[in-house]
Amino acid sequence: MFADGLPIARRIRPGVGRAIPRPGTQFEFLSKDVTMKIFKSLLLTAVVVAGTVVWAASPERYLHIKVNNPKTQELVRVNVPLSLAEKVIPAINHGDLKNGKFHVSNFNVQDIDIRALLEAVKSAPEGEFVSVQNPGEEVHVAKEHGQLVAHVNDKGGKQRVDVTIPWEVAQALISETTDNQLNLSAAVKALQSIGDMTLVTVAGEDESVRIWIDSNNSDK
Amino acid sequence: MILLAKIGVGVLGTAMVAGAALSSQGFIAVKVHEKRPDGTHLSLIVPAALVPASLHFVPKNDLKDAASELRPYLPIIDVAIPALEDCPDGVLVEVKDPQEHVFIQKVGGSVVIDVDDHGDIVHVSVPLRAAQSSIHQIAEANETM
Repeated sequence: MFADGLPIARRIRPGVGRAIPRPGTQFEFLSKDVTMKIFKSLLLTAVVVAGTVVWAASPERYLHIKVNNPKTQELVRVNVPLSLAEKVIPAINHGDLKNGKFHVSNFNVQDIDIRALLEAVKSAPEGEFVSVQNPGEEVHVAKEHGQLVAHVNDKGGKQRVDVTIPWEVAQALISETTDNQLNLSAAVKALQSIGDMTLVTVAGEDESVRIWIDSNNSDK
Repeated sequence: MILLAKIGVGVLGTAMVAGAALSSQGFIAVKVHEKRPDGTHLSLIVPAALVPASLHFVPKNDLKDAASELRPYLPIIDVAIPALEDCPDGVLVEVKDPQEHVFIQKVGGSVVIDVDDHGDIVHVSVPLRAAQSSIHQIAEANETM
């Protein structure tokens, strides 16, 4: 029954099979339950669509490498989409790289077990861990703002190297590995979640190198 | 008259379907410009779908070396090309020095390579999907031999 009391059968045109609502009474025949169901469906659809749009719009992350030599006017720029690296690295089974893990033949560099060192640093408070100063070279290794930071100043070779490894990436590098492995695949995955930052800079007399992460598809 | 019209529609329809099939994988564009005065200027645009078809006519023996070199890298290629297709457009590699400028970028579904050196300017654009199927065809050419 409609609000005006006419039975539905009286409102259906023969052969058409559709109710003809009067102006202003279009949705009055819908019960509250049906209205709520429609509303909920629309809300769910809106949430799904909005989620898809947000997911689709999440920007691609890039690993940029720039090598510049002003003297010889040489420039090399490499921009690697991290999603590409994440998929390709596990597929490489060549040489020391297998299943996304890099096998380092002698990980215990000069009797220092880097893996054990990273595990120890993980639980240590922030601060400088290593400081080596000699006439030709200065080395500083520290944990700063949750990042592993290393500065090397080679005075003889007039070269300065700064390396910043976010803690998540350092942890990922040694995750699910045996003694002589680095988990590159996990490290790349971890890089996806960190903010824009410079990972490595090498400033030499002739050449400079910069490796960094951001969401720009070019290094400009 | 009606019969002629029907034949015309048939021919036109076939041509359209053939055109659509040919252009379905995009086009390979090659431009070579030699800088010397009497140098060659070549500009070639080929439907990418023709390449796998053309490879059927290449004697398998001629593809033997390329096939054996490509085969170990097929798993990587099969992952890399679809992943690259999903990536946004942008410059992948640029190498620049006073003698040479090499530019590799992804544009749409294609990889575009531009080389400008002292002798030539070369531009190559290859649709990724076509590249993958052609690489597969080359790699599988001598598998049974």
